[in-house]
Amino acid sequence: MSATMTPNVNTPGDFQAKDYKSDLKPIWCPGCGDYSVVQGIYRALAAIGRPPHEIAFISGIGCSSRIPGYTTAYGFNTVHGRALPIAQGIKLANPDLLVLAAGGDGDGFSIGGGHIAHLIRRNIDITYIVMDNQIYGLTKGQLSPTSQKGRTTCTSPHGSLENPVNPLLYVLAYGAGFVAQASPTDLVGMAAIIEEAIRYPGFAFVNIQSPCVTYGEEAQQIKGLKAISETLESLGHDPSDRLAAMNLAQNYGTKLNLGVFYRNPEPAPTYDGLVRERQAQLSQGAPSKERILDLFIKK
Amino acid sequence: MRKDLVFGMAGSGGDGIVSAGDSLLQAASAEGYHGVMTKSFGSQIRGGESSCRVRISTDPVLNPGGNLDVAVALNWEDFLKFGAELPVAGTTVVIYEAATGVPENQIPLVGVTPLQVIAVPIAEMAKAHAGTERAKNTVVLGLIAGWFGIGAVAVMKGISKKLAKKSQELVDANQKAFDAGMAFAKEHPLKADMTIVPLENKGGVKLLTDGNDMCAAAAIFAGCQFFGGYPITPSTEIMQFFTNHVWKYGGAVLQAEDEIAGIGAAVGASFAGKKAMTATSGPGLSLKSEMMGLASIAELPLVIVDVQRGGPSTGLPTKTEQSDLFAAAFSAHGDVIRPVLAPTSVADTFRTTIEAFNIAEYYQTPVIILSDQEIASRKETLDPIDTSQFKIIDRLKPTGADLQDYKRFKQTENHISPISHPGMLGGTYLASGIEHVESGAPTNSGSVHARMNDKRTKKFDPLKERKDLFEITGNPDAPLALVAWGSVAGVCREALQMAREQGLDVKLMVPYLLYPVAEQTYRDFFASVQKGLVVEQSHLAQTFKVLRMHLDLPKGLQSLARSGANPFLPGEIVAALHHLLAELQRSHEGKLQPQE
Repeated sequence: MSATMTPNVNTPGDFQAKDYKSDLKPIWCPGCGDYSVVQGIYRALAAIGRPPHEIAFISGIGCSSRIPGYTTAYGFNTVHGRALPIAQGIKLANPDLLVLAAGGDGDGFSIGGGHIAHLIRRNIDITYIVMDNQIYGLTKGQLSPTSQKGRTTCTSPHGSLENPVNPLLYVLAYGAGFVAQASPTDLVGMAAIIEEAIRYPGFAFVNIQSPCVTYGEEAQQIKGLKAISETLESLGHDPSDRLAAMNLAQNYGTKLNLGVFYRNPEPAPTYDGLVRERQAQLSQGAPSKERILDLFIKK
Repeated sequence: MRKDLVFGMAGSGGDGIVSAGDSLLQAASAEGYHGVMTKSFGSQIRGGESSCRVRISTDPVLNPGGNLDVAVALNWEDFLKFGAELPVAGTTVVIYEAATGVPENQIPLVGVTPLQVIAVPIAEMAKAHAGTERAKNTVVLGLIAGWFGIGAVAVMKGISKKLAKKSQELVDANQKAFDAGMAFAKEHPLKADMTIVPLENKGGVKLLTDGNDMCAAAAIFAGCQFFGGYPITPSTEIMQFFTNHVWKYGGAVLQAEDEIAGIGAAVGASFAGKKAMTATSGPGLSLKSEMMGLASIAELPLVIVDVQRGGPSTGLPTKTEQSDLFAAAFSAHGDVIRPVLAPTSVADTFRTTIEAFNIAEYYQTPVIILSDQEIASRKETLDPIDTSQFKIIDRLKPTGADLQDYKRFKQTENHISPISHPGMLGGTYLASGIEHVESGAPTNSGSVHARMNDKRTKKFDPLKERKDLFEITGNPDAPLALVAWGSVAGVCREALQMAREQGLDVKLMVPYLLYPVAEQTYRDFFASVQKGLVVEQSHLAQTFKVLRMHLDLPKGLQSLARSGANPFLPGEIVAALHHLLAELQRSHEGKLQPQE
């Protein structure tokens, strides 16, 4: 732990949402759902109370991946699809940090789709927030991996022939310990879900339906989202029941179920925690690194 | 008596050829000899063919040697697959497994009649004395001890140590097989005395290792605390060494799901303030190129090891080449300079790797170590290294004053900006692959982009001035010259010695810094040169072309370049130098004609 790092305890009240807002002006289109997401993140961080310099916020490429720039923290806007590998390197290098990763559905489930499975099976303590708008926005309206079949976009002018990825089922199937969905139509609920995801000790995934006002379909606009929203709480869902969560996750694309789908009641050990244990165990009685060449002496 | 012996051995996978070579080199090293061993396989796990080449000498060795003095064939078919890597000459003693027989048209071998050809019933002896054909390699070691005087005691000591863990019977059986080999050698003397000169002064403790392990050890010594990578031949041993050792020093290793995630994690670790590394080979380097660009624009230190093998694509995955220079120096989009360093031996892999970390940290940049399969996989004996002579450089951290109004990419006189990391109070900033202003905020401004490009390229100017990254040997005014890097440099060092013994006035430049091209250093070196060779294992002569791209080369400088796998032989380079000298003399005669 570096000398400037505060102990890993929550100090609510020390920070307010505005303390996490950076000076950069977002380049998002007026009315974009991401405006609400970043507000939710500020609120969640304030509730947790970690100072900005102890937070690393990593993203890939796309509209939503600009979000670390709008947040006061150590930010890294990386390359397309690779937020998670970079975020895990940060967490393994310094497990004391609060590490957040964020991006869009294309970034996370197309180009970066191969990484999620591995972050989940390693169970690295990172919170991954996907702003899912079912379209490629920054490249101006192409088909995304979560676009519904039959959807007309500039790369599917005759309608998409592909079945969409179901992000919730995807991460549940790989064994994620915390899976939730939120909506910008409910800022308070979204902030609470993000806060809970960050507090979960292990890999946590939050899917946020974040409407694209420019290329989005009507169903994903704020009004449309409100129409299909229902909370998991109102359905009496037990978030410790993984199979029930998978059943409900099938509603993706038709219903917008909000809340925690799954929270492992007995969180598994994290990879970063195990790394620390191994370091502690193997460093005992280790020769100084100045003697490393002694390994090459054949006695 | 001989001061230097080169052994080449080949057989089928499972014959224990490589382990015999290992035992031979270890025994020689225990007796105080210098040595080097290279291995070569087909690319399969078991079965197929495998070979090794062991050179043992009373003096330090610079490369694995030229023609074989001793060829050991456990199987002719397999031996002949290594024709060019294990060249037999008129001075070679050939020992072969009697049971496999010799097809009549194969001796002489490729038109060469060896000095002596001896059939030995190796398998039969192993069976008779050790009870199993698996002891064939021990019989071979007994033959070598008997004929060449290497390792009579030390070989068996090493074998016993290894086998004692299994059973005493196995040790006894192998001792019998070894003794049988020795006895056979005594009963069938060689035509010429080929015993090696015994050493009076054993020269003390030696290290014995290969380039990959040396690279990983050096990285840990340099303070590397994170390794992210993906298995790929012939670089994987670097990751394996890390997984064995780096935890002890507070570090971590990630065997990632792919090459991109491997380097990504290393980029992340560097952003988090730790020295980080990844290692790969050609195809993996291609996959990593986008991340290398990211680390360049985000000005993050990172060391990438590329253990070159034959390419393109899967190419010759188990064999050496020097054909990744273009990829190492140029595989990124945009205008970017990425330092590329190359070690020339196992021994200087230590220094080169530390240098790579120091350059990465000081200049806040990715650095590529361009190793090659031969250096990475070959074992060398080396004298203990005085580690206290190495200075370790860490990145420039911001001070209190910098943190008052912290600007991560602040324009400074030497273009190096203090770099903070998560956890540092007052140092928060946005790193990105997007062009940015001094604070890190994204920009689309062309003028800022031009200024930042200037910062990111000019910062390397002092690197190009460093003379210590070049080794120049020979008469500075010599009219003849050689330029070579990587494993080929070792061959050229020996060629230089041979050429000078033959009266040629020739000098050699070995660059450890391949890129950026240090124009002035080359200009100075070439000032006296009328004829010369850039020697490299690249079909396209990549080094020659990169040099030509950056500076005017002397007219007489030629490229001696060819594809890899088959090593250059020192004698071949000396022959080319004689040819150049003859051309030079002819042109001088021309000039001596009266002009008026």
